[in-house]
Amino acid sequence: MGWRQQHAIPDLGVGVGFRTPHVTHVLSQRPPMDWFEIISENYFAEGGIQRANLERLAGAYKVVPHGVSLSIGGSDPLDHAYLARLRDLVRRVDAPWCSDHLCFTGWGGVDVHDLLPMPMTRESLAHVVERVKRVQGAIERPFALENASSYLEWRGSTMTEHEFLAEVAERADCGILLDVNNVFVSAYNHGFDARAYVDAMPADRVVQIHVAGHTDKGAYLLDTHSAPVRGEVWDLYRRALRRIGPTSTLVEWDEDIPAWDVLVSEARRTREVRDESLGGVSTKDGRWATVS
Amino acid sequence: MGDGELAQLQRFVVEAIRGGPSTEEALHVRESARGMTPASRVEVYREQFRLRHLKNVADDYPTLAWAVGGADAFSALADEYLAAHPPCTWDLQRLGAEMPRFVSTHARWAKDPSARDAACLDWAFMEIFDAPDAPPFDMSLLASTPEDRWTSARIDLLPALRLVAMKSSLHEVRDALKQGAPAGRPTAAETRVVVWRDPACFPRSIAVQPGAFDLLVRLRDGDPLGPACEGAARAMGEDVSRFGEHVGTWFQEWTVRGWIARVRF
Repeated sequence: MGWRQQHAIPDLGVGVGFRTPHVTHVLSQRPPMDWFEIISENYFAEGGIQRANLERLAGAYKVVPHGVSLSIGGSDPLDHAYLARLRDLVRRVDAPWCSDHLCFTGWGGVDVHDLLPMPMTRESLAHVVERVKRVQGAIERPFALENASSYLEWRGSTMTEHEFLAEVAERADCGILLDVNNVFVSAYNHGFDARAYVDAMPADRVVQIHVAGHTDKGAYLLDTHSAPVRGEVWDLYRRALRRIGPTSTLVEWDEDIPAWDVLVSEARRTREVRDESLGGVSTKDGRWATVS
Repeated sequence: MGDGELAQLQRFVVEAIRGGPSTEEALHVRESARGMTPASRVEVYREQFRLRHLKNVADDYPTLAWAVGGADAFSALADEYLAAHPPCTWDLQRLGAEMPRFVSTHARWAKDPSARDAACLDWAFMEIFDAPDAPPFDMSLLASTPEDRWTSARIDLLPALRLVAMKSSLHEVRDALKQGAPAGRPTAAETRVVVWRDPACFPRSIAVQPGAFDLLVRLRDGDPLGPACEGAARAMGEDVSRFGEHVGTWFQEWTVRGWIARVRF
């Protein structure tokens, strides 16, 4: 039995992020959408509008938490209070899995709120594996690590990122959130082959795929989630789907967030690409229905 | 690379992101594709670090930004603040937690009551945003409890409620700014404001009478109702029984607004 089957990881279809400009529309109109991803940390509070909105969202749709601050590769100790809140959140929304990034976010108590790349070494790999096991034990749900976009690589690295991520997943027994836009951005910034990265992913551990837009800054690409998905990223998405099969996919759009209809158009485009790529083997029926 | 080396590398990059260019960058960062130098690669993170946190603090402190004279002056203040109080938690809601104290000791702004008050007012709104919820207060208690039991009762205020004393009506400035309207000069007068999250989760503020504000402060600090009323009456220079005439009316208003969370007898 494969990892996804073993953990009963469902194919949720195509979803979008639950973001402030669309909250009123989504909660009042309940428009068709397969599922929503939330930024975990935005819903950790014990009260207030965010918590109230999440309760309503989770009552109508499937919801998957996606974190940005776990700092799985950090050398500071894991934050147990943070993990307790994460566990509470995944239970509240009955999440089929939750995810965060392969990165560190600070040092010495300072949190830079960015996804800093790990040195790809055997030693840091062992460090991440040990911490992922502790996280999975704490949250008692399947956990997936996402490849982050990066703008620097460490001289001391002895492995490629895809080798590192695949081995972490295998040894820690966790899932992978494959962000094909991040693969494209990092491949451009560091000059590696994006297709080889996608081909190296252990297919049975990929629980989710992200697609997104980015910004060309001239000397480098910046992962801004502020634009439509580019053609090269669609190509990587097709490649990933053909290899991995039907996989929950999320359209990320976090800056210059467009009107709901524009976001839905991008999600519809994602579904078209997905259905074409899978040649009709999609497990979803193509209708966007709310969860009853 | 052992754990110690991992920590050293992480220390290097975090300090480099927070500070200026470093000669160490070339030692650790690979010079690879696109002709970007190690320093220019670290600079990508450094720029994002500054922009992200400046925007965050600016979003949290609209009244303070107005009080110090606009975006440029506020950016300078926020840069100083972030250097003194770097982000130390995953919770970006807490990034500006030290701003009221920072402004109150700042060389330029400590003597400016508008800046000091604006920082306190904006932070009060931040605190009530995600403070714990409280179940609705049982209004029937007001009528059904014998009068003699109220003297020793302790009143728990809504967790999402803050009390802010100011030298001017800056809450009106904040309201205008949040609505995108031009903010006029606030009225220069002692102003006591209650900031709270209403039952529909909307942030609200309202100016209250000095006596009501003093009583709310005493109740918040844990005084039983009787001693709180006596203390507030003395502070206002009023006779206790005459002061008590206001209290019933105030309680009605406070319960309707949801300011009372619980009464402990």
